[in-house]
Amino acid sequence: MNCYLLSWRHTMTKILNAVLLLAVWCFPPLVIFAQSPTEIAQKIDELLVSETIVSQTNICDDETFLRRAFFDIVGQPPSLEDVLVYGLEPSVNKRSLLIEFLLADTTYGANWSRYWRDVIMFRRTYDQSQLGIPALESYLTDALNNGVSWDRIAVDFITAKGDIREDGRAVFIAAQQGRPEETVSEISRIFLGIQIQCAQCHDHPTDRWKQEQFHELAAFFPRVAVRPQQDPRSFIVNATDFVGRRRNTNANNRFVGTLEHTMPNLTEPTQPGQVMTPKFFVSGQTLPAGTTDAVRRDSLARWITSPDNPWFAKAVTNRLWAELVGEGFYEPVDDIGPDRTPSAPKTMDYLANEFTLSGYDLKWLMQTIMSTQAYQRNSLDRRNYDQIPFQANTIQPLRSDQLFDNMMGVFEISDAGLEGTGQGPRRQQTPRNVFAGVFGYDPNDPRGDVAVSIPQSLAMMNSKFINEQIQAKQGTMLYRLLQEVQADRAAVQELYLRVFSRRPNRNELNTSLAYIKQVANRGEAFEDLLWALLNSAEFKTRR
Amino acid sequence: MTTNQINRRSWLQSSATAVTSVAAWKSPIIANATTLRTNAKACILLWMGGGPSQFETFSPKPDHANGGETTVTSTAVSGIQISSQLPATAAAMKDVCLIRSVHGPEGSHPRASYVSHTGYLPTASVKHPTIGAHVTQHIGDPESELPSFVHIGRSRGVYSAGLLGVEYDPFILNSANQMPANTELSTSKNRYVRRLGLLENLENDGSTEGSKQFVKANRNLYEKASRLVLSPQMKTFDITQERTDVRSSYGDGDFAAGCLMARRLVESGVTFIEVASSNWDTHFDNASRTNTLCQEVDKPYAQLLADLKQRGLLDTTLVIWMGEFGRTPRINGRGGRDHYPRAFNVALAGAGVQGGQVLGATDASGNNITDQPVSVNDLLTTIYDALGIDSFHENMSRIGRPIRIVEDGEIIDGVF
Repeated sequence: MNCYLLSWRHTMTKILNAVLLLAVWCFPPLVIFAQSPTEIAQKIDELLVSETIVSQTNICDDETFLRRAFFDIVGQPPSLEDVLVYGLEPSVNKRSLLIEFLLADTTYGANWSRYWRDVIMFRRTYDQSQLGIPALESYLTDALNNGVSWDRIAVDFITAKGDIREDGRAVFIAAQQGRPEETVSEISRIFLGIQIQCAQCHDHPTDRWKQEQFHELAAFFPRVAVRPQQDPRSFIVNATDFVGRRRNTNANNRFVGTLEHTMPNLTEPTQPGQVMTPKFFVSGQTLPAGTTDAVRRDSLARWITSPDNPWFAKAVTNRLWAELVGEGFYEPVDDIGPDRTPSAPKTMDYLANEFTLSGYDLKWLMQTIMSTQAYQRNSLDRRNYDQIPFQANTIQPLRSDQLFDNMMGVFEISDAGLEGTGQGPRRQQTPRNVFAGVFGYDPNDPRGDVAVSIPQSLAMMNSKFINEQIQAKQGTMLYRLLQEVQADRAAVQELYLRVFSRRPNRNELNTSLAYIKQVANRGEAFEDLLWALLNSAEFKTRR
Repeated sequence: MTTNQINRRSWLQSSATAVTSVAAWKSPIIANATTLRTNAKACILLWMGGGPSQFETFSPKPDHANGGETTVTSTAVSGIQISSQLPATAAAMKDVCLIRSVHGPEGSHPRASYVSHTGYLPTASVKHPTIGAHVTQHIGDPESELPSFVHIGRSRGVYSAGLLGVEYDPFILNSANQMPANTELSTSKNRYVRRLGLLENLENDGSTEGSKQFVKANRNLYEKASRLVLSPQMKTFDITQERTDVRSSYGDGDFAAGCLMARRLVESGVTFIEVASSNWDTHFDNASRTNTLCQEVDKPYAQLLADLKQRGLLDTTLVIWMGEFGRTPRINGRGGRDHYPRAFNVALAGAGVQGGQVLGATDASGNNITDQPVSVNDLLTTIYDALGIDSFHENMSRIGRPIRIVEDGEIIDGVF
């Protein structure tokens, strides 16, 4: 990641702004533009202050902002050059320029595709669907980089058909083996933020949803089938619109679908259940029995993504706000809905509404949130529940991919050149995936519940891979640094810049220099210093 | 934990006498409050991944076509016969309670394995904790230097602590024949300790403004991890420390090494160990492949029981032999047997289990259970009871939904 484009972007943005201004001036009633992110951001901050009495946590400094924005958008740390160039950049709006620049980089799509992959795949009930992960990542990366709107992405997942190794859209359904109850639970959870599956077995105890409503939603999906295929081994998501001799007799697979969904009779399990017709619980829209799979799924996708359905915009707005500011208006992020109270309802509604007007533009949403003061404040630890929300940004544990790329960035290597241990039964055993097996966490869970584990610290302290990379021997970053920078003080400062994107404070510098003196072996002492920095809490978090 | 259980128990007893209509809410603890066991300290789950054939192991049917060519052997308990491929197990039968009438709700490997480990069908919204996580949470020693829950062997699925959090996740050894990953220091011990000191000093110096939680959590974690890797108890993970004759008494192979390791871990105070054997999914050549697997499992299983008993640990250690389901009575065209969750076998031993008996039965064909059907949840309830854990204990899901350890289930009659 280089910053040399910043000044060029600066000029381009000025020109673009002029063109936009002209366009708005010429055709104000005809053209609906999404309002500029900075203007909306300002209104959000005003609303938020009116709702939550925000205290005066300072806006963070440029070094902190740079590292935060890099991790949040491209999932990687800034390089040493980025840190130096950004510090010297004189323009007053350099934060907006940085956000725009990073959102235009294709690493943005790669980073967020991994986030959404985890949102979907951590909740899989069908492990073999992992065969489709590369295709899922590739679909999401392209869609996000090309600015494909969120409603289009939702429609793609809900209506997908095809081979999960070729078309990543089909993986969403395959992750639940196409089982109607599990699939619609996930659609509702991810796209609406509503946990309607709690009504699967009985009426929801605290929410309004009835058991019928859950099964009416499942009734959009009975015809979906997930058929295994050999050579190459894969799964095909398709539909069963005719049932002849191929009737699905084995309830344990979804190789063939069923024509209609049945709500089981839970009080008398031996009795036949009740056949349900499709009905969308938010809008009440229905379809008759006998409708084809394509019409069922197209209709549901259309109704879910309609601007008339407020939960579609709120769910993703709340999610991205939580990822970026550190806490959602609703927590957990996937448990919202009419019976929950957000911590700042006006702000939530306003932002979700503007996001809808933007045409469900995810980059617009990112840029808007990152332009707020709420985002740009200093970070604090996660608040206690009796404290006022949104007084500061919140320190977050890096996701597995971010931490992996953080290490790669420090070591100045790319995992493209690293050898894996071969194809596992379901997932390629690349170093990144092996790392994820230890460091991965479910991004749907409240971030405060994400705990660190012993195997994680063992890997950071003792793994062969890391210990080879931190050695001061030819070919490593540390070797080059110690060659180029002869003075210990300057070398410590540069190491801090490389690992934390900031300079050491006086105490850190003194401790480091004292340690180097004590060890009396320059290479060994710096190896230990790098080891300590990598194993610190700061390296594993984004502030 | 213990205090909670005792409180709960006395509350249940008093309310059970006061409220006569309590039968509607049948806690296994109420029904068996007097049998609540509190002295069990450990549990070893021998997991037969893939679904072992009951006909070639514990329920041979030599007098029926479904039985195939498998022959039977008498056991140390008169009247009980098992497959002649399990001679060592047959000799250890006095310690084993064999259940021939277990049935489960699922016939696919991942779903049935999930059910057997958690008591629930897999859902996207709740990740249910595996047996080892519950057991560790309730009876594990939080001060132990070794991890309280260890999983040994590669298996298709390793189930996690789910909603209980990573603190109760299994510590995984891919093989008992090598030390656990990343526990060997990459430098000298002196230098390692020096590095830890530097880390601590720098974290004290660092601008921890705002990040106290993470620094504190990191420090606790590194203290715990260092205690583990520097612990003299790490040698527990090195089975080469055992005498050659002891090692050979367990037989050869990864599973044998896993059983020996499990015994070593129990001796060192580890609470739950799962040892995985895989490849029981014998859709073709069932008889010969199952025989090979029996040879891998028979001797180590029997030796594990004998070893625990000899050390006085069997009374406080529950040993479970189980897979996710059984195999079809009818032998298919390729000499194999397919998945059959409707009737399969589980063997229990130790921790107060009455050995030398068979519970439940199937008919001559092996198709149907004819006596004492036992659901997977009954089995799990019994396992938790053996370990002194109330299986109706509720944990909260992430969205505040109470989830019992086991939703329903009754203690199997006659096990204790």
